[in-house]
Amino acid sequence: MRRADIGRLSGKLEEPMQWFVSEARVRVAVLVNRSGQVLAQHGFASQYDVANVAALAAATHSSAHALAELTGAGRWMHLHHAGHDRQLFLAPFRTPAEDLILVAIFDEESTLGLVQLFFDRFAEMVRAIPDFQVTLERSDAESFESDLEAGLDRLLSEPPPEA
Amino acid sequence: MTDVMREAMARLSRVKGVRGAMVVDPEAGVPVTTELAAGVDGRAVAALAASLFQRAGQALRASGHGALATAQLEAEAGHVLAVEADPLLVVVVAEPRAQLGLIRVEAQRAAEEMQ
Repeated sequence: MRRADIGRLSGKLEEPMQWFVSEARVRVAVLVNRSGQVLAQHGFASQYDVANVAALAAATHSSAHALAELTGAGRWMHLHHAGHDRQLFLAPFRTPAEDLILVAIFDEESTLGLVQLFFDRFAEMVRAIPDFQVTLERSDAESFESDLEAGLDRLLSEPPPEA
Repeated sequence: MTDVMREAMARLSRVKGVRGAMVVDPEAGVPVTTELAAGVDGRAVAALAASLFQRAGQALRASGHGALATAQLEAEAGHVLAVEADPLLVVVVAEPRAQLGLIRVEAQRAAEEMQ
């Protein structure tokens, strides 16, 4: 996704992202694409954390996709890791523009069921945004690195949201 | 145990007016076993009923009333009943004119069988 597209789309994702965070009662959430570009986030204190989670989410998506194909499991729906204090939910969804991946971290204030429920509705909200209903131009090799950092630059220029 | 849950939910779902019966993991808010009529979104009901039950339980404990055993919601279009079956939860979705007394007895029986 190109830098100009990220700037435009990120603004339109703020409302659905805030809605998801509020309804699902998650602590931290980030929406990335398969390249690891950050489109929206809530709750991260630093750019470094967002970049790491985005890169790991994209890598996890690729691994899970490959594993699902290898085992004949078809498209994977979500990944859930229940830690002692916090839980991780990672799920991909398709839009005509491109595939996106939502990562959410939650604690005892929420449950896997609630996060799943509101993730489904969040995905519908994103798909309903007209800008996500058209195919977007991909970054070329020369501009990829700059485009990759576009979402982070945008997030860093804004005051960090409350955790 | 799985057979016990399935049989209990099948029996509950046969009570007149019941549109759905399920065993829910309240910690995760996900269904474990379901017997649902068409149009009942089991995942959504499980997630929201578990959340409601846990919140109500927290409120009761905080106010010194002890643990929550049963929660019953009444609405224009029907009822939702949640009964603790430690560590699980039995959740029933029923029509407005359902025999609630019988449903409560059967849900309680199911919860006891599972404990």
